[in-house]
Amino acid sequence: MTWTIAVGVKQVPDADEVGIDPDTGRLDRASAPAVMNGPDRHALEAALTIRDQVGGEVIAMTMGPPNATSVLEEAVAMGSDDAVLISDRAFAGSDTWPTSLTLARAAEALEADVVVCGEETTDSSTGQVPPGIAAHNGWAQLTYAEAVDARPEEGRLAARRDVEGGYELVAAELPVVVAVAFGEFDPRPAPLHRKIYGENDFEPTVWDAEALGIEDEVGLDVSPTSVGRMETVDPVERKGEVVDEVDGLLEPIAEVRA
Amino acid sequence: MSDDAVDVGEYEDVWVFVEEHGGEVMPVSWELLAEAAKLTETTGDDLVALAIGEGLETVADEALARGADRVLVADDPVFEPYRADPYGEQFRAMVEERKPSIVLIGGTHTGRDFAGRVAVPAHAGLTADVTELDVDDEGILQARRPAFGGDVLATILCEEHRPQMATIRPGVFEAAAPDPERVADGDVVSVDVVVDEADAISEVLEREVGDTADITEAERIVAVGRGVEGDLEPARRLAEALDAELAASRAAVDEGWVDGARQVGQTGKTVRPDLYVAVGISGAIQHVEGMNKSGTVVAINDDPNAPIFEHADYGIVGDLFEVCPALADRLEGEPIQEVTG
Ligand SMILES: Cc1cc2nc3c(=O)[nH]c(=O)nc-3n(C[C@H](O)[C@H](O)[C@H](O)COP(=O)(O)OP(=O)(O)OC[C@H]3O[C@@H](n4cnc5c(N)ncnc54)[C@H](O)[C@@H]3O)c2cc1C
Ligand SMILES: Nc1ncnc2c1ncn2[C@@H]1O[C@H](COP(=O)(O)O)[C@@H](O)[C@H]1O
Repeated sequence: MTWTIAVGVKQVPDADEVGIDPDTGRLDRASAPAVMNGPDRHALEAALTIRDQVGGEVIAMTMGPPNATSVLEEAVAMGSDDAVLISDRAFAGSDTWPTSLTLARAAEALEADVVVCGEETTDSSTGQVPPGIAAHNGWAQLTYAEAVDARPEEGRLAARRDVEGGYELVAAELPVVVAVAFGEFDPRPAPLHRKIYGENDFEPTVWDAEALGIEDEVGLDVSPTSVGRMETVDPVERKGEVVDEVDGLLEPIAEVRA
Repeated sequence: MSDDAVDVGEYEDVWVFVEEHGGEVMPVSWELLAEAAKLTETTGDDLVALAIGEGLETVADEALARGADRVLVADDPVFEPYRADPYGEQFRAMVEERKPSIVLIGGTHTGRDFAGRVAVPAHAGLTADVTELDVDDEGILQARRPAFGGDVLATILCEEHRPQMATIRPGVFEAAAPDPERVADGDVVSVDVVVDEADAISEVLEREVGDTADITEAERIVAVGRGVEGDLEPARRLAEALDAELAASRAAVDEGWVDGARQVGQTGKTVRPDLYVAVGISGAIQHVEGMNKSGTVVAINDDPNAPIFEHADYGIVGDLFEVCPALADRLEGEPIQEVTG
């Protein structure tokens, strides 16, 4: 028995390249290059690790605009067997409820045994999508996973989960959604021939909302949350004094302790 | 208005989830109870605590002492240790039956793990990583959270769906002291347990809970980063000389050098000590978000361009393996005089 392992990867603005708009003095995210969400590289590595353990197929999936294809090419370069772009104007304004519904339906359509996600995205940083996928499908979930142990003979996947102040080992029945703890699973480098294949020859499967039968269940209208005000936060003022000797720290420390 | 929108008028009360593991309550639960009391003052709702686990009598009484008007208790062996599926199912059943207007959950790994299993089937609004809370005249929760790397505070609203759920970052609110006299006035309601072990789709094979230190109340903190390269000795000694708690960046936690309970930052704790000493920490935005409410910040780093210096009041550019012992020597050599009068 082999497993179908779907991986959720998202395209986000490169956090390290977000510049300051010279006119407004604000962060200019629109001009930042789009890259794969960092934590999703760890998710991909975890998916490839599971494939190494049981055999099967890794399929990357992204919900995003057509140019999000580039993160799928990257996933294919890293070792994904195939990839799906889920793209539709109807998705605009989706919060995590319809986003996780969309990915849940895609995982069903792929007949996934395991869905692997990153811990959070760096642009929306909710971490809600993986449990959301599991909840929409009524599947098991293993979040904050630090290590995975496929147990095909039991029809289960076990994971070591990071819990506050310790860890736990939990086995879950398939199908299961895994969210990988950021920083675990060092991503393997993409071999050159896969990079070339990904960029030049590979074409993802493309699905729209109708293909998944969810055209009336996505977008702004079904999203329970909306963004109200946005306030810029004034940076905390710090003295920024550099002292040459540790003695220069004694007085400020004494003041704090007084 | 969407099809699934609900009659918001049917929903009332503010719920706070009391997270406990084996009888030990996560401090964020009491922080939320104190903050939620401010919301109910505005809305006139009842403040309801909710506990799921096994053997919850003491926890329930403490929730009353800490400000709850009522405690809903789902007490059953199926809930110990924690698993997402039974917890989510039970919580969801309670939400759908009792219709709370607002539900607050600590943004711990556990809270973030199951919150979606309630919000998704209930089609509730769920806001993650909230650091400020308020409620308007119409009972709409104003859940504020940092966005765009902390440069913006976004207010997330849930106008047409109920309940309005949020997970809240640990350490941002102050817990209130328990008042034992409140216990007698409150109600403890035992609710029907709707889940059965036979339906569970996950099994906890091992569980090891080590350090559950609460660094959020510390007055002084020495925090280590990847720069310490696994050697905590210099920072430990400095912490002792300062009578400070040890904390860490996520990198140091991921390396396994320091327990996760001591992680500071966006996915860790928010701390606000009088003194924060960052040792071998670069100052990534996700880290700074958890410590920029500190009083005096001192940075020790050998890279003069490390961003941490922009977030510090005093910095020393140097090798931490030399600076920490030297500073500890000076602090130990000259006991700091308490200022009196
Ligand atoms: C979704 C997400 C959530 C995150 N949440 C958090 C969070 O909650 N908390 C958090 O901390 N991070 C978080 N991070 C990670 C964060 O982006 C950084 O990667 C992390 O904070 C870096 O940790 P560090 O400063 O210890 O390590 P590095 O960035 O590797 O910095 C090490 C520093 O040590 C200095 N150094 C090295 N040797 C010495 C020496 N001998 N003497 C003095 N200085 C030395 C170096 O100059 C360097 O500045 C998150 C990231 C993501 C994507
Ligand atoms: N649009 C998307 N397409 C594919 N995967 C996603 C998408 N949004 C979120 N995910 C997955 O869910 C994880 C958590 O995202 P979030 O809940 O947005 O913080 C990410 O690391 C991805 O693995």
